[in-house]
Amino acid sequence: MADAAVPLERIVGPTTADDDVLRVEHIKKSFGPISALRDVNLHLRKGEVLGLLGDNGAGKSTLIKILSGFQKQDAGTMWLKGQPYAPKSVLDARAHGIDTVYQDLALIDQLTVYNNLFLRRELVKKPIPFLSNREMRKRARAALEETGIDIPRLDVPVARLSGGQRQAIAVARTISGDADVILLDEPLAAMGAKEGALILDLIARLKKEGRVSIIMILHNYVHVFQACDRVSLIQDGVISLDKPTTETSVDELNDIVVEEYRRARLAAQSGNGASAGAGQAGGTPA
Amino acid sequence: MAVADSTPPAEAPPQGPAKGWARRGGALSLGQRFLTLREGSIVVITVIAFVYFAASTNRFLTSGSLKALLPYFAPYAILAAGEVFVMINAEIDLSVGAVYLFTPFIFYKLVVNVGLPLVPAMIGALIVAMLVGLFNGLVVSVVGISSFVTTLGTLFTLSGLTLIISHATQVTTPGTSVVKVGTFAQIFGGGTYSELFWAIGIAIVLQLVLSFTRWGIYTVAVGGNRLGASEAGVRTKVVLTRNFVLCALLAGFVGIMEAVRAATTTPDPSGANVILFQAISAAVIGGTLLQGGSGTVIGAFIGAVFLGILQDGLNLKGVSANYYYFYLGLAILIAMAFNTYVQRVRIGSGRG
Repeated sequence: MADAAVPLERIVGPTTADDDVLRVEHIKKSFGPISALRDVNLHLRKGEVLGLLGDNGAGKSTLIKILSGFQKQDAGTMWLKGQPYAPKSVLDARAHGIDTVYQDLALIDQLTVYNNLFLRRELVKKPIPFLSNREMRKRARAALEETGIDIPRLDVPVARLSGGQRQAIAVARTISGDADVILLDEPLAAMGAKEGALILDLIARLKKEGRVSIIMILHNYVHVFQACDRVSLIQDGVISLDKPTTETSVDELNDIVVEEYRRARLAAQSGNGASAGAGQAGGTPA
Repeated sequence: MAVADSTPPAEAPPQGPAKGWARRGGALSLGQRFLTLREGSIVVITVIAFVYFAASTNRFLTSGSLKALLPYFAPYAILAAGEVFVMINAEIDLSVGAVYLFTPFIFYKLVVNVGLPLVPAMIGALIVAMLVGLFNGLVVSVVGISSFVTTLGTLFTLSGLTLIISHATQVTTPGTSVVKVGTFAQIFGGGTYSELFWAIGIAIVLQLVLSFTRWGIYTVAVGGNRLGASEAGVRTKVVLTRNFVLCALLAGFVGIMEAVRAATTTPDPSGANVILFQAISAAVIGGTLLQGGSGTVIGAFIGAVFLGILQDGLNLKGVSANYYYFYLGLAILIAMAFNTYVQRVRIGSGRG
């Protein structure tokens, strides 16, 4: 049934460009009987902002977790800056220059703003490795000013902050590191319009600097066209569209997603005959 | 939201107020913040208990009585310090009493049967204690069995093992003698203030570790948000295991010191269980929450002092020992209610 969901001719195969920083081919990942990623091919060019779209459960977050070293793929290969890339852990990925803002933000409620910002890269004194809280607070202030989001106090537990402020801290934590590939899993999810705009401005600025390349999971098409150079659509564990944002439109993306929804409904209605039904639906041009 | 309220668009955030806040934040350092609200309740309760016993019995404030108070709290303060690290991880170690019971017998065997000198034998016994902690930690973090079950298993296994190797008979602790307290015994439990000094020293060092080192930050992180911590790159298994090892090491150390103090090593599992619950009580009364993410060593230390005052005071008043547990129970309930309230105020009403 799953195989029928995305018509074969639409599945994006391995593609590449000369200036790729990251390339993944034939990535597969299952959790027990559920295959989250069936055959994912993706590439990211230097300085590019790639928007990743897809419904809940399509496999977006799984892909991000594999890229960030948090999970391992069952099959498939990845290359980072021309070298084979198989991160052993989150730290290993970070050492390779890939860092992530997770959907759940990975913040520790009980720790202060600056302790969260420096989690796992704490600054310590010598010779006794006590934390240099003052230095961390100073640099945290600078990093947050960079994001333009005002967090009045850095020594309060992050649990006290608003959803948008927490998101901003998670984003600031990642972009203030040395990463040259940044993965953002729904960075605008908990944001108000104003905070969201700040984050988008920040991404635009990073893009202008051209130092980092970004993969960003988004839900809002407007944000995609606002912030991204290229858009990839994940459906049912495969990439079903991969186009520069200048060559596609909200309407096209909408049509594909709606078509997918119809096909899934049809498949559900016709039970085991799903495969045939899906084939027909797929044959009709969107 | 609380975002740059009066500022037009993005670019320049308001410099003045932000700096003012930062300075005020700077004055209130991490350590002070940890020590302010959270221990407030237990300090008050302890002082009240102290004043009450000082006023109602005329023998409480004598130096003899205060000396008698020491063994009632110093061992618990050390045990609770280790337990605090495990409890901040949102785990619990029920095997500390059993390790406390088991380690002095290993010490005895290493001296009497193997023929090691006292200090190497003690180090050997402490290594064995740490191995028990390593086992607990690996089973919890790698195998994924809950710490309650794992350490319950260790508790009974070690208690049984102690009875087996000791043939359920008590022995004279090596390095001690009824006639004269030697240097080894003076330092490790035999001296009047020896355990007090160890308790204070260990509490200070471990509070520093908890508040001002990566070990402490990661301990809070793993207890507060285990998934988030691992996503951020914290090696949660290492953090968990390390804390179980610390907890077992301290339990073994207290076990040896108490055996030295008493000059006899007694295989008494039910006594060891009382020790376990006293240690957990001290940690809980001292503000450590079982759900993890918060707690302090200093709090546990004061909690242990409170237990000591309660026990010694009731003794001197000639109150039946039965009342001790009654008051202890009330104290735990009151302290927990208060701590939960304090935590809610501290973290902010919106969450947790």
